[in-house]
Amino acid sequence: MRILLVEDDVDVARFVKKGLQEAGHTTEHAPNGRDGLFMAASEPFDLLVLDRMLPGGVDGVRLVETLRSQGNKTPVLFLTAMTAVDERVRGLKAGGDDYLTKPFAFAELLARCEALGRRPASDAPTTRLRVADLELDLLSRTVTRAGKKIDVQPREFRLLEHLMRHAGQVVTRTMLLEKVWDYHFDPQTNVIDVHVSRLRQKLDKGHDRPLIHTVRNAGYMIRAEP
Amino acid sequence: MNLVLLAAAFPLLALPLRAEPASAQPVRVTTDSAEYCGILSERLALAPLAEAEPARSLAAEGRRLCQDGHVRTGVAKLRRALRAANPTH
Amino acid sequence: MGSGTLSGSGVIHVLRSAGLRFALLFAALFLLAGLAFSAVLWWGTAGALDRQTAAAIRADATALMERWHDGGRPALIEAIETRLAADVEDQTLYLLLDRDGTRLAGNLETPPAGGAPDPAWSSATLERDGEPSEARLFRVDLPNGSQLFVGRDVAEKQRLRALLTDALALSAAAAAFFAGLGAWVLRRALSQRLAPATQTAAAIASGDLSPRVPLTGQGDEFDRLGETMNTMLDRIATLMEGVRGVSDAIAHDLRTPIARARAKLEEALSGSPGDAAALRSAIEQGIADLDGVTRVFQAVLRIAEVEAGARRAAFATFDLTPVLEDAVDLYAPSAEARQIAFETEIALGLMMRGDRDLLLQAVANLLDNAVKFTPEGGSIRLVARRGARAIWVDIADAGPGLSDADRIRAGTRFFRTDSARTTPGSGLGLSLVRAVAVLHRGELHLADARPGETPRGLRATLRLPA
Repeated sequence: MRILLVEDDVDVARFVKKGLQEAGHTTEHAPNGRDGLFMAASEPFDLLVLDRMLPGGVDGVRLVETLRSQGNKTPVLFLTAMTAVDERVRGLKAGGDDYLTKPFAFAELLARCEALGRRPASDAPTTRLRVADLELDLLSRTVTRAGKKIDVQPREFRLLEHLMRHAGQVVTRTMLLEKVWDYHFDPQTNVIDVHVSRLRQKLDKGHDRPLIHTVRNAGYMIRAEP
Repeated sequence: MNLVLLAAAFPLLALPLRAEPASAQPVRVTTDSAEYCGILSERLALAPLAEAEPARSLAAEGRRLCQDGHVRTGVAKLRRALRAANPTH
Repeated sequence: MGSGTLSGSGVIHVLRSAGLRFALLFAALFLLAGLAFSAVLWWGTAGALDRQTAAAIRADATALMERWHDGGRPALIEAIETRLAADVEDQTLYLLLDRDGTRLAGNLETPPAGGAPDPAWSSATLERDGEPSEARLFRVDLPNGSQLFVGRDVAEKQRLRALLTDALALSAAAAAFFAGLGAWVLRRALSQRLAPATQTAAAIASGDLSPRVPLTGQGDEFDRLGETMNTMLDRIATLMEGVRGVSDAIAHDLRTPIARARAKLEEALSGSPGDAAALRSAIEQGIADLDGVTRVFQAVLRIAEVEAGARRAAFATFDLTPVLEDAVDLYAPSAEARQIAFETEIALGLMMRGDRDLLLQAVANLLDNAVKFTPEGGSIRLVARRGARAIWVDIADAGPGLSDADRIRAGTRFFRTDSARTTPGSGLGLSLVRAVAVLHRGELHLADARPGETPRGLRATLRLPA
């Protein structure tokens, strides 16, 4: 992916850029909003990572508003120190797609970047998701593995759906909490882990290949290969 | 206080409402005279009930007042006598 | 405002006073009313006198003209003389002149001068037996050139008119005086009633937040203003305390975990330099500790944000039932994993007004605690129902519960019971729940789930007005 990082803090920028490059993404960096706007408008990028508070008159929100008004649809991930809910809503309303508060774990940033960067294969809405021999029918809300039906609760279905839509990518615990439970806080305990392990048991019972993998210090991933 | 002075000025507003242009030369009223007393007496003599009361005493009083110089009151009395002396009213 | 001369700038300064403007407005209205009253009265009395006289004169003139039409000049002369002879009141005035000015009949010696603006009407001074008097006269021009004057002696009427005019002018003056007096009194009264509020505001502006507006107990608008100001000042004081509290909390309670993290890293640094694995694990621990500090920090800020009350502006109406079901759903597997029986009884359609996200977090906190503290094989029960004026959410667990002393402290920011020190998560959970309850104008009540038994368990009850 080609990523543009607009961040005024030198250390954070270096840390993020290095990490993203190592993960295989080409990363450009702009130190303020004006330069960032110029670069975003003149070159194509797959993803923009913006700090919310930028010096020099053009802050993160202004930047996104301007880009959107120009018809630019590049996905945007906001980084910010501001944790208030209204700020999150404001950023999303301005045209942002996701929001990550500082300080963040790099794995979280990477997982969200890759989730935003994936383009849908086609514009037609999918009715079936498949990973290896696991199949999810979105219309009938059923899960089958190797042809055998697996009983899952509605919430587990949604959890599995989310993992499968991002098959091959890391999905963090925070992302699951947000997308499946609409829970935007950081629980201290490992509630998600228990859900995933229960789901895992249901999926892997009687099959030799585990599909849901734990990625250390990051989250979970569903993929065919072990 | 200034408002008190303002209030005191108010009666002055009344002046234009009172003042009426008066003519320079006073006009004399001719019926305020001894002569008119006489004219009224003559008319009385022609009235039907002149000799009856109360016309007769009113007329006598009226004449006396005119002779004494109280012309206007005399004229008024004589006029009343004339009214009393004329039955149609 | 005292008495004295009003200079130009002085006038402008004085007009800036709202009290004075109100007072002047009152004075102007009062004066206007008084003048209107006087004018109407004058028109109805003195004016009526004039109109009465004019009407009588016209009627007389009309009647005389009819006699002239019927019987010509002799009839007119006869009519005039008859009228004069019958005028007991001694008020009538007539004069008939022929075209060259010769007196033909009537009791005026000479014709009056023409009046203005209407030449037909005129006023004249009379001489009556040596005494002056006044007349009002009307002239009719006959077709043959003669002129007929018909009038009345209006001396007495004029005197009455003058009397009335003077009286009304005096009453207008009195009205003006009282208007001025009223304005002054009004302005003083306003300033006096406003004085407590303005004095308190001045005292506060100079830096001291403690004074409050003294109330007179009359319960009027100014007292209400004072009450509102006092409430506002109380709120400001509370908010400022809250800010101080946050700084205190952050300073005091975050120092410990930060110091601990630092100590561990320093310890790792002083260990054997070749042990890369140990260093690595120390760094990982350092990151975890920093994350923990961040979490505490964010929780403290969230509580402060909730306590400040600003979130209330974004309240919306929503159904609490799915929120509760979401929270239950989130923690059900955790309970199941520890063989804890989880019973729920959630009423349907619990509509209320508030912040959905905060309530989800509050209930999640309570369930988190319940699952954390209930031993294996225990039970948790969540009941949500609608009362008369509020929604009640009751969560009972089978853990050690809180001692009476602890229960009182439970709402304070960093409270953790001694026995809970080893379990993960900061003690901010209950503080947040309490803050959220208060934000929704409700309350959090803590009690024993099984009083008298061991373990006593904890029953946390949220009352949310709806």
